[in-house]
Amino acid sequence: MLAPIDGATTERAIVIAAQAGSDEAFSALVRLHQRRAYSVVRAIVLSHEDAEDAVQEGFLHAHRALDRFRPDQPFGAWLYRIMANAALDLVRRRKVRDADELPDNIAIPFRDPAESGELRERLQKALLHLTDRQRAVIVLHDVEGFTHGEIGRTLGIPEGTARSDLHHARATLRRLLQNIRSTP
Amino acid sequence: MTDHRWTPSENDLTEALRVHYAAPSDPGYWSALEARILAHVARGGHAEGWWSALSELARPALAAAAILVLVAGAAVVRTRQLDARNAYESVISAAPPSVETAARTSSVADGDATIDYMLSH
Repeated sequence: MLAPIDGATTERAIVIAAQAGSDEAFSALVRLHQRRAYSVVRAIVLSHEDAEDAVQEGFLHAHRALDRFRPDQPFGAWLYRIMANAALDLVRRRKVRDADELPDNIAIPFRDPAESGELRERLQKALLHLTDRQRAVIVLHDVEGFTHGEIGRTLGIPEGTARSDLHHARATLRRLLQNIRSTP
Repeated sequence: MTDHRWTPSENDLTEALRVHYAAPSDPGYWSALEARILAHVARGGHAEGWWSALSELARPALAAAAILVLVAGAAVVRTRQLDARNAYESVISAAPPSVETAARTSSVADGDATIDYMLSH
């Protein structure tokens, strides 16, 4: 039986156990990485439901490719690259799709409900004006706190391209989100 | 009511993105997702249930149906072409007598009738 994940049980040991065929070890990897994996794919796809599908596909691909992973490398970076590819595949398959609704039950810390409502609505539409890659880059950077290098490795693009995409994504969003109505 | 306009700052934008992309916070959600991921992996990615088998067959079935429609359409067109050609050929091969022949035949027949009448009286 696999020991609980603590300081004595490294991720490397879990990966090696999973590579040896331990389902329990693979479950532990899923438990460890599913939140971050969700965030990575959510940055790329347009809806929560698609993110769930992409995470499942990503873990399936990772499971199949596990024996090709070298345990001396960071498992997270390898896994998130697979996740990003799974998400990009899904986006290609579902190119025409409406953006999902924002959850209403999450508090938005803006000046008043009227302006936050319009910002929310306009942001949702503005995000559709970004390319898939620009959207992924700005979300991974601004929301998930990835560095440019991490974004580059995750999405398989040069770091400079990630910087450029971030710049253009911000500029586009700023342009599209000007003059939002507010009713004091 | 006054209509004010404002442009969100970088911080506003980042905060709005964080809200928009917020991951579920309920631990129960993650337990459930973990179970679904493991089930998906155990299945080898195939959706569960008999309906999934049907859905996998849907694409080939649609392709087969499309081919059948095309074949049926081609058969109908071919049949119509054959009918038209047969009708044309039947018209060509069984052409009606010309007007001259018809008129001559008619006058000969009338003449015979006149002779028959004169002979009988």
